[in-house]
Amino acid sequence: MFPPDEEKLIEEVRKLKKRLARERAARLEAESIAEHGLRQLYEKKEQLQLLGAVAVAANESATVDELLQLTLNKICATSRWQLGHAYLVRQKGNEFHLISSGIWSEINCGWMEEFQLATRVIEKPVMGGLPDRTLTMGEPIWVADTTEDTGYPESEMRRLEGTKSAFAIPVRAGDQVAAVLEFVSEQFIALDEFFLQLMAQIATQIGRLLDRKRAESQLIHDASHDSLTKLPNRALFMDRLTRALARNKRIPHVSFAVLFIDLDRFKMVNDTLGHNAGDELLIQVVARISAALRHEEMIARCGADEEGNRETLARLGGDEFTVLLDEIRDPSQALRVADRIQKTLADSFRLGGNDVSVCASIGIAISGTAYDTPSEIIRDADLAMYRAKSLGGSRYVIYDESMQALGASRLQMETDLRSALKNDEFVLHYQPIVELKTSEIVGFEALVRWRSRPDSELIYPDQFIKIAEDSGLIVPIGAWVLRQACSVMCTLQQEFPRERPLTINVNLSSRQFSQLDLVHQIGRVVSETCILPGTLGLEITESVTMDDTDRTAAVVAELASAGVHVSIDDFGTGFSSLSYLHRFPIHVLKIDRSFTGRIDFDAESLAIVRTIANLARDLGMDVVAEGVETKAQAARLKSLDCKFGQGYFYSPPLDETSVRRLLHSQEMPMPHPRAR
Amino acid sequence: MKGIIFNLLEEVIVSHYDEDTWERLLLATGLDGAYTSLGSYPDRDLDGLVSSAALTLGLTPFEVLRWFGQQAIPRLYSRYPGFFASQPSTRSFLLSVNSIIHPEVRKVYPGAQVPTFEFSDDPGGGLLMGYRSPRRLCALAQGFTEGAATHYGETVQFEHRECMHKGDERCLCHILFSSDRSH
Repeated sequence: MFPPDEEKLIEEVRKLKKRLARERAARLEAESIAEHGLRQLYEKKEQLQLLGAVAVAANESATVDELLQLTLNKICATSRWQLGHAYLVRQKGNEFHLISSGIWSEINCGWMEEFQLATRVIEKPVMGGLPDRTLTMGEPIWVADTTEDTGYPESEMRRLEGTKSAFAIPVRAGDQVAAVLEFVSEQFIALDEFFLQLMAQIATQIGRLLDRKRAESQLIHDASHDSLTKLPNRALFMDRLTRALARNKRIPHVSFAVLFIDLDRFKMVNDTLGHNAGDELLIQVVARISAALRHEEMIARCGADEEGNRETLARLGGDEFTVLLDEIRDPSQALRVADRIQKTLADSFRLGGNDVSVCASIGIAISGTAYDTPSEIIRDADLAMYRAKSLGGSRYVIYDESMQALGASRLQMETDLRSALKNDEFVLHYQPIVELKTSEIVGFEALVRWRSRPDSELIYPDQFIKIAEDSGLIVPIGAWVLRQACSVMCTLQQEFPRERPLTINVNLSSRQFSQLDLVHQIGRVVSETCILPGTLGLEITESVTMDDTDRTAAVVAELASAGVHVSIDDFGTGFSSLSYLHRFPIHVLKIDRSFTGRIDFDAESLAIVRTIANLARDLGMDVVAEGVETKAQAARLKSLDCKFGQGYFYSPPLDETSVRRLLHSQEMPMPHPRAR
Repeated sequence: MKGIIFNLLEEVIVSHYDEDTWERLLLATGLDGAYTSLGSYPDRDLDGLVSSAALTLGLTPFEVLRWFGQQAIPRLYSRYPGFFASQPSTRSFLLSVNSIIHPEVRKVYPGAQVPTFEFSDDPGGGLLMGYRSPRRLCALAQGFTEGAATHYGETVQFEHRECMHKGDERCLCHILFSSDRSH
């Protein structure tokens, strides 16, 4: 036994040792806690820096790929997630699916390649797998333990083999998931709310960039595509053509063709059924042509490379389309495509309640000739198209050099028309309009002619009005016609005063009608030429009235209040929208000559004329039948209560001198119309 | 030098000898011995303790450091098992020092001055490990390597082909693993 003091001392030492052990344990514990805290602090700092870096990269004009790569790198470097991968969402029809972006990041994992392979080998992520489920749910999914049964398909479990945790988060652009980021680790990583929030903020940043890039690419797309049909526009077509041309210079045996397509009856649809119907028609036409081209592509491809279409369908404007057929073997391929396009347009189109038929005139230019610029090729295809049109439309024509002259003659005519205006080369002829019951001349329709030299033949409008319209010269020509007709009528009214003064009708083209100061212009002409009020009539076609019915109603009403009558010319030939007719204070419907000409043998034409006459009477309008050529026609028209007529049966269009002579003779007792 | 090294040295000395031995070492070097893993301490403190230990235990400083390294590994394992668990072999463990362990140390202790080893495969077999540090602790590196080998149930042959202690510009250690030899 130790002495008591010593025993006490030993006890004391024992207690001290225990206390020391406790202190040491406490120190170790404190160190461990501190290290853990320091580690967390570091992670948080890193994560905030990560968010900052992603935000900066997203705001600067980094590409989406760069941003994704940077984000994955940073996340893997600053978290325990060892491997990160980005999927992009692709839309196919109404379905969305994921594809690998090919952007990966990894930190210290030996199974990178294996995982990549498993993720890529199946082309797209496992249906119902983690990334797919994230896309579907639109929410982040955290799998803290991938080794236990997670309810994923077996193939997904195989893909995740070697991992212990996995995590995926959706990236939204707008209201859609546009990408999914997936992370895996071979460590167990418990759900970390702070990290999750951080990832959500990062996803938002990436989404913003995706949004912006989409908007940018939309802008680029918009600048190079037609908004109505979504087809490439002229600029993009020229670009593709330039490339084809450059390639053709390098490799001359690989040729290409340009098809210039112009719809034959488009303008009428647009004018009579309105622009919405016209737009709808264009969309349907494009769908059919595209399908025809796809079909052609399938035939032509035969194991060729899968990248890039060798056919570009573009809309140059209006109803003009072009097709670039690239890498064709021989010109017959271009003919086959043109033929297919025409066949595909053969069936009528359903527009609202109407069945509409259109056909196409197609001009073809082949790269074989020595072309230096894309414009030359388009010009030639355009010329060939014009030839197709002049041959009656609904056909295709391959360009040949003789057409160059045709193009040149169009240009020449434009120049000549300009000088004709300057040199006063236009003349007016006047065709009488008579009251059928009495055969009395009540007025005239003014018709323009062109005499290019004093000794030359008259040129009729069918030969120059189209070019005048295309070039815009129709506006000054029309203005001249109006003034000339009014001033001549003014003198006629003074020379031949009547109880019901003579009237004069002037044709107005749609381009003239669409001038904003039209009413003002006409008002000025009326007052300056002292034509009697209420004796000027303007003839517009149905198509003009249907262009913009609200404006038409306003303009016609203004004209009416200024004492100017409005007639609908060629009534019955367009797509009559009778429902609009009552909205306009129209004075006269002019029955088209095609009905008048068939009235005495064709029941249908008779029915149409009768209907128009009844319609006019009900709406309080007058009716003028055009193209009256026989006595029988005149008699039939009278019996239908048709009040007025014009045509060769009464008189052809006459020059001013002949008009005076005719009017003088009418002041005598009524002559009988010459029999035919 | 990080406090953890001093803590480990104390633990190793105390468990193989006794507390008095550690006290004597502190006394001989004039150090108060208050070290925490959170702190950093002068390198000369470690040099002094190692020199004293060598004198006291009748070993060279090289032998003290090597032995200390060997003994420190099980203690490091008990504190940081993750570093070992994530690596399957001595070789990969060594390689992870640059890529994982030291980066992790820096995360917790931003100013920590940890060495970077230059690893390369020796065409003749084995791994070459270059080491440059004014601390010249190649013996400790050898001890750590051998301790790790024991942990993984392997053996290594560790050869100092160049050594700063012999006037070389750097240390170049050749490490041959038992797994290498079995192939």
